[in-house]
Amino acid sequence: MQKPLLTLDTLPPGSNAKIVSISGSGGWVYRLYQMGLTPGTIVTVIVNYGAGPLVVRVRGVDISLGRGIARRIIVEPL
Amino acid sequence: MENNDTAKKEIVVGVAGQPNVGKSTLFNVLTGRRVHVANWPGVTVEKHEGIREYMGYRLRFIDLPGIYGFSATTIEEKIARRFILEEKPDVLLVLVDSINPERTMYLAIQALEMYTRVIIVFTKIDETHARGIHINYEALNRRLGVPVVAVSSATGQGINELLDKIVEVASSGGRRKPLRIDYGELEPFILSVEQVLEKNDSKIKYPIRWVSIRLLEGDRELEEYVRRMLGEKVLIDILKTREEIRRIFHRSPEELFAQKRFEYIEKLLRGVVVRVHVGITRRERITRYFYHPWLGPFLSIFTLIIVFLVAFSINTGFPLNVILADLGYPGLAEAVENYSLGGLIEAGFNALSNYLYSIMGESIISSLVINGIIGGVGAVAVFLPLIMMVAFFLAVLEDSGLSPRIAVSLHNWLTRIGVSGHAVFPMLLGFGCNVPAVMSTRAVPDPRERIRLIMTIPFIPCQARLVVILAFASALSGLSGALLILYGYVAAFIAFSLVNRSLYWIDKKRGRVSEPELLLELPPIHKPIPRVVWWHVWDSTKHFLKKAGTIIFLLSILIWFLTSYTPSLTYTGDPSQTIGAYLARLFAPFLYPIGLRGDQAWIIAFALIIGFVAKESVISALTITTGADTARDALRLLKLTDVQIASITVFMILYVPCMATLAVMLSETRSWKIVLASIGIMLSIAYVGMLFTYMIGLLL
Ligand SMILES: Nc1nc2c(ncn2[C@@H]2O[C@H](COP(=O)(O)OP(=O)(O)OP(=O)(O)O)[C@@H](O)[C@H]2O)c(=O)[nH]1
Repeated sequence: MQKPLLTLDTLPPGSNAKIVSISGSGGWVYRLYQMGLTPGTIVTVIVNYGAGPLVVRVRGVDISLGRGIARRIIVEPL
Repeated sequence: MENNDTAKKEIVVGVAGQPNVGKSTLFNVLTGRRVHVANWPGVTVEKHEGIREYMGYRLRFIDLPGIYGFSATTIEEKIARRFILEEKPDVLLVLVDSINPERTMYLAIQALEMYTRVIIVFTKIDETHARGIHINYEALNRRLGVPVVAVSSATGQGINELLDKIVEVASSGGRRKPLRIDYGELEPFILSVEQVLEKNDSKIKYPIRWVSIRLLEGDRELEEYVRRMLGEKVLIDILKTREEIRRIFHRSPEELFAQKRFEYIEKLLRGVVVRVHVGITRRERITRYFYHPWLGPFLSIFTLIIVFLVAFSINTGFPLNVILADLGYPGLAEAVENYSLGGLIEAGFNALSNYLYSIMGESIISSLVINGIIGGVGAVAVFLPLIMMVAFFLAVLEDSGLSPRIAVSLHNWLTRIGVSGHAVFPMLLGFGCNVPAVMSTRAVPDPRERIRLIMTIPFIPCQARLVVILAFASALSGLSGALLILYGYVAAFIAFSLVNRSLYWIDKKRGRVSEPELLLELPPIHKPIPRVVWWHVWDSTKHFLKKAGTIIFLLSILIWFLTSYTPSLTYTGDPSQTIGAYLARLFAPFLYPIGLRGDQAWIIAFALIIGFVAKESVISALTITTGADTARDALRLLKLTDVQIASITVFMILYVPCMATLAVMLSETRSWKIVLASIGIMLSIAYVGMLFTYMIGLLL
């Protein structure tokens, strides 16, 4: 059974997930790719207080994401 | 130029890297900071060039803007790419951060796909061991076929080896062909575009495979290029191939290519980069508190307030002197004030004036030198230590990696006024000087948010205005002075928030905005590098001294002239008969509502007019027109009430920072409309603020 797909902003701190896709278009998405958030990449949620920006670790780098952006990232929890 | 120099062989070295890889630092180390700053052709992005003599060669280093990729989606990316493809540097250094090679390698790989004479430079290697990172540079060198050099700007390790490699690559050339990445199932599509282009090979002057890949990823600049060189039909064929990818894989081509590249990097670094887990450091753990919803903003604001208080006390004795005086130690308070750095410089200038008086006597010349120049420049120079101190703290916040954490912590609050955490860095810089602050808004990804910020950053009291605020506060007694400073900053904060909110609201009405969003890299927190901090401090100091030596010097002479000569150009000792007085009286009625009359009104109006050019000169204008040594004495001579001083201070903080800021606002927005609108907004807000302060003051 495949696990259900969620958006990144719903994951608790400490959890790992694999990026499935990023919805939407425009400059933000491109920037996300360039910063290494491409589908297939594993992200670790470091900070998520349920409000305010998240901090995630991707390819060894900590990146802070606004909630609106995190909501557009579809992930598969691991 | 000397013969000797031209005979030397010149090697042009481009330096590229992602933001935060340590590019500026390495560039400064390589060039010994003998740097020439200009603009890239046609844009206001700064171009830094530096020269280094090495082994009989003249190495000309060109610092390319910090970018994530070569996709030409931003001005910076366009500049970097154009430079590499058109100017073909003898050597291209691409920096990779050894603390996170997996991510920063992305730019290096793209560079290798389009260029051959490349050296991969791993930066910050002094940090790798503490983080349990081990990198096999030899292996990487073999896998990529270009030199890989590991350096540390902090310790100087590897710098000579890098210079050797530069000379070597310049004379022997790099790889024979650009790097070829296997794009797997995308290869047939690349091939088909390549074939279309190859038919017209001679016309395309860039590497064909690279152009093909870029076109499939979607690249406006190259599409334009193909249309121009090969015609519309060819371009349409190519774009069809691109659409085919989208249809077959149900995903956007740029996403597929980015993913392939990262997969390639993963494979490339397997066995080359080994991470031994060391757990999170204590420093890292402490910074996590910055992300907490309410603890974070509290910590950030607390940090900033401490920074300002410490800087103030060391320089001006303030607020320590007030606290001591209130505790009942007036003697101690006075000592703190007199022996503060500012106090010492002031004493020096006074001694100089007195000495010159004693040897020159009363004359027009001595009036010019002592009242005009020393009075004008000296009153401002007093604040040099303050400038250095604030620059020091800002540099520490920036270099330690603390400032992006502050950005994250304040993001949520800032969204309420329509800006994101990206605004924090420009705002912080704004406390130093509005000019770099306006320029640094380039890093704000949302273009509308950027415009709003450019229009509102001038409300942030820069050091020049801080200097005037402090001077005005010194005219009030003890605690009221402290309250005035606080009040000034609060007024600035309110104006900044209010205008931002309103502009955001207008943008929203016009349907031009989305919610402010944050996407920010958080570099590891670390001890600031002393040398880097010193560079920042020195840059601000130099900037300030230059300003004091040129603009303020000239303005002081102009002020002296305007307030020493009558309209019929005869010298007079009575300032109220001078050209300046006549001019300023035209504007004086604007100050009637706060109860200023006669001399008071025109002198203040005059100072504010002069302050339009450079804020520090408000002080010079006051001291020169009144003949006082300090702003405090000048304001006392004018017999202004405390409430009037407070009202004028508020106006002074909020109306137009200086000419230089207006100029940079114009060059960044390229719109007179925006600049004029900003001036209008600033003047009205300042005026309303002044009247409001006066009325509140009268009520209290
Ligand atoms: N430990 C260590 N840190 C370094 C070294 N070089 C730079 N850094 C740090 O890395 C951070 C980024 O350095 P910069 O030189 O400003 O990086 P940049 O690539 O120019 O980044 P932008 O200014 O954002 O374009 C700073 O905090 C530096 O202190 C180094 O050799 N060793």
